[in-house]
Order: sequence, then structure tokens, then C-alpha cells
Amino acid sequence: MFNSLKGVTTVLKKIKLRDAVGTQLSHDITEIRPGEFKGPAFRRGHTVCNEDLCHLQKLGKNHLYLLDMDADEIHEDQAAAMLADALTGEGVRWQNEPREGKIKLVAAIDGLLSVETATLAAVNMIDEVMCATLHSHSLVKKDDLVAATRALPLVMKRAPIERAAAIAAQSGGVVRVKALRKANVGLLITGSEVYHGLIEDRFAPLLNEKVTALGCRVAGVTFAPDDPGLIRQAISAHLERGCDLLLLSGGMSVDPDDVTRQGIKLAGATEMYYGSAVLPGAMFLVAYLGEVPLLGVPACGMYHRITVLDLILPRVLAGEHIGKAELAFLGHGGLCKDCPQCSYPHCPFGKGT
Amino acid sequence: MRDFKSLVKSSAAAHGHLCPGQVVGVRMAMLGCRLIGLDEPTRIDQIKKLIVYVEMDRCTADAVAHVTGVKLGRRSLKFTDYGIMAATFVNLETQKAFRIISTEESRDLASAYAPEVAEKYARQLKAYERMPDSVLFRVQQVDVAISELDLPGPTRRKVACSRCGQVVRDGREVIAQGRPLCKPCAGGAYFSNARDITWPDMNRTPNTE
Repeated sequence: MFNSLKGVTTVLKKIKLRDAVGTQLSHDITEIRPGEFKGPAFRRGHTVCNEDLCHLQKLGKNHLYLLDMDADEIHEDQAAAMLADALTGEGVRWQNEPREGKIKLVAAIDGLLSVETATLAAVNMIDEVMCATLHSHSLVKKDDLVAATRALPLVMKRAPIERAAAIAAQSGGVVRVKALRKANVGLLITGSEVYHGLIEDRFAPLLNEKVTALGCRVAGVTFAPDDPGLIRQAISAHLERGCDLLLLSGGMSVDPDDVTRQGIKLAGATEMYYGSAVLPGAMFLVAYLGEVPLLGVPACGMYHRITVLDLILPRVLAGEHIGKAELAFLGHGGLCKDCPQCSYPHCPFGKGT
Repeated sequence: MRDFKSLVKSSAAAHGHLCPGQVVGVRMAMLGCRLIGLDEPTRIDQIKKLIVYVEMDRCTADAVAHVTGVKLGRRSLKFTDYGIMAATFVNLETQKAFRIISTEESRDLASAYAPEVAEKYARQLKAYERMPDSVLFRVQQVDVAISELDLPGPTRRKVACSRCGQVVRDGREVIAQGRPLCKPCAGGAYFSNARDITWPDMNRTPNTE
């Protein structure tokens, strides 16, 4: 990506500005007026006339390039289009309107952005090209910018661009947006203190707000005391009611009364992963009852506005299967700074993977 | 051709250890054979169609030779000492030849493709299994003009060195002032100060009875 001298000067002929009148510009010429404007002052293909010379000089141009391309070479705009097409996966679209050699990729639907980071890195290791994206697992709206790509030289050999495009296109592109399913959520609040009315539950409204904000519907809220058998029953009741996502709160810790995990096992969990590399949220739990995911939210979810649940819930709704590795990989960037003014998602929390 | 896993296993056994070079070499050979249209390079009907040039004397070279079955003594394996992680696969029948170069960036990308593996070599090993060919290799189609004197088959020419009398095969002599010399006599040999000796028990023969 950084070896940009390679192959450029051989195909471009430099001419003095005063000799350029009547020729066509080989690329967009960018103008930057600090704080005011950044964009193309002249577009590729514009025929230079006498009136332009002063403006071009002000932009620091005393020479221009004349294009003299061989058959095996392509222009940056063609290269960007090839790259954009290859990078684009399901739920993402692009328009062939390169500006200053760049093409933007935007979300075609609301959903969760997924970036093939290894493939992205492999593409960016090719000298002539670049692609920058938002973080994987970002929630995006339709038409949001999710990535942009360009070729670095103005003119280059076709072969490296074709190779970059082949790498990008493997397994269906580098950037994808997956729609979140509208889950039927069953909430189960455990804890004898709440069940017997010693304290008022504050978890259900919080969880309700989080799942409805993502387009899900709460199909039922039930309460269970610290009794594995009754927790099992409550889970089964939610499943019978047709819930396809369960959220449990309470009883996730290490106290003798924390029996929620036993209840989940009794209910027939086929997979169970306890512990995430996130603070807040170390004692988070992910289990599967057949196809139905179950998320166990530790008590920190009541105190902190944003926890591991906010990182995992959208991924579950986007159809990702969460296991030990997914929870472990959250460690890098999984530490919330607990800022007085929370700016999530515009902060590093959860952005390390 | 056997499957990748089985080839890596036997290649590592033949080479002496399992290393990232075995994975790269096995994949390089599989890709090379595929590109020149040989699916069973060690089978009798294909064995004589293949010549492989390796450009390094590293682990990868052994893996390439193991998978393709090319051998120095059969003149199907050519070693060109470029210090480049590359090999060229030539189909003598079709004259098609592809030079496959292991990319430098694949080393940097190992952590992206196998982030869960902490140890460097184990990570490279896993990553090189996962990377697509497009990331692991660059491929060039090349023309290889092979001299008659380099082809497999009987010795084409023998010449005696005009200084020491040593017989030199297949045109490897050097002509100096119109007379053939073996390379050591022509200068620049890898050894120096050569002198004939006698050695203990020098009349021994292998016991074959």
C-alpha cells in the first residue's frame, strides 16, 4: 500500500501547465480550503482552457500529467470500481461515481456491519490499493457509509488490481451488512429477593428497552426465585410460548444462591459459555437451547448503561453463533472507561475485534 | 494427488519436522501442478512431463520436491540459488510454465488469519493453512527455455578437462583459450587446496554376500 512510487512514472507524461491548454485532465484535481471546502475543483476529463491556468497555479499545479496508457494498464477510476465491486458483500451497495479516485460503499439495509478483517488486511497489503471500513459489529442504518476504497496510483498495471479484487471477492466480499432478526424475546428475572417482593425489579424495564430498541418484541416477562427447578420451568414456559431469544438476569455470580446456571443446564442447554473478556460483563453467559440463544446478564447490567450485552445482543440478532472464542476475543478493547459522559458507540469499547 | 493434510504429514516426515515451510511448499506444489494440468505428478505417465525449479534451499523446497516427486538425480528438480521463496513448474509436454512466489505479506498477515494462536510458528502454520492461494502466492506465467543439456535422460556430452583430465558431463565445461576446463580448474570452486590422499582401511567393500 505504501510503495506508491512503483510503476507510476513510466506511464505518465508530465507537461508544463502552460502547454496543457486544450488537453484533458487525467484525474480529479482536489482543492482544500481549510474549514470551508474539500472536493474536486476540476474533474477528470475536463478540457483545460486559458481561464483555468490561474486557478490551477493557485492549487500548486505547475505541471499536469498526460495519460498514455498501455493495454495492460488501467486508470484509478476503473481500478476503484473493480475493487468496490469485489469488496461489496451482501447488504452493501456502491455507485460507480468515483470522486478523486475514491468510491464509497454504503449500507443497503439497516443492520450489523461485518468486516472480514483478515481479507481486508490482505487486500491492503497490495501496494496499489486501499480500503478503509468502519469497525466490524457496528450497527448501521441504510445508506450509512461503511467503507471506501481507492487505487493509489493514477495509472497502474491491471494485474495487481485483479489480484486484489480476487482476494476481496473470496467468500462473498469484505464488507457485509446483516439484518437483525425481529426476535420474540422472553425475559426471565431470577432472584428470590425480587420474586418475593423484598425489592422492586429494575432489570425488566432496562432489558425491555434494549431489545425493543433493536426492533425485537418482548413476548413475556417472568420471575423465578433462586431455585434451579423453577428456573428450568420458567425457561421451558418461554420456549413453549414461542420465544426465540431468552434474556436472563440475576444469579450469574459466584454466591451459593446464584443457581441460574444450574437452571439453564436443567432446561437442556446444548451449549453453555460462562464468562466474557469484557468489563463490565465478566460474568456474562451465553447458552443455546437447540437453536434458541439464551443470554445471561450479570447484575452489572443494572448499573452500567453499556455492558457486554450491548456488544453481543446485536451479533446474536444478526445470526452469529457466539461461543467461547467470540467471548474471549472481546478482551482487546473490552474495557469500559466508565466515562462520566458515556459516548458509546462512539468510543473504543468493544471495537478491538 | 493425495489430500492436503496427508501430503503435509508425509512431507513433514520426509523433511524431518513440521514447519510453516512444509505447509507453504505443499500448497505451492499443489497449485503448481494444478496450473500446468498434472493431477498425479508422481505417477509414471506424468512423472516425465514435469520439471520444477526451486529458487531457495529452505524447508519449502523439500515440500515441493516431496509432493511433486521431482528429484535432483532425475534432473527433474533444478536448484537455482536465488534466495527467493519461489518455484517454477514446467510441463514439458505443453511447454506451459508458472512461477509461484510466496508473498512476503503472508508473513505479516499470519496474525490476522490465526489471531487465536499465540506462538509465532504455530500461528504461521495455522494461518498458511487458512489463507487462500491468492493471498499466499503471486503467480507469473513464464517461458522457460530448457537446454537439451539440462533435460532428463542419458548424458548428452562428455568432455575431459584439458588441465586435470576430469570428465565433465552435459556441457558444464568452461572453454578457456579454446580449451575445455572443468569448473574447479577454471577457478572459483567452492573448495580450495585440494590434494589426493590415502585413508585408513581404504580397501574396504560393502558386505553384500
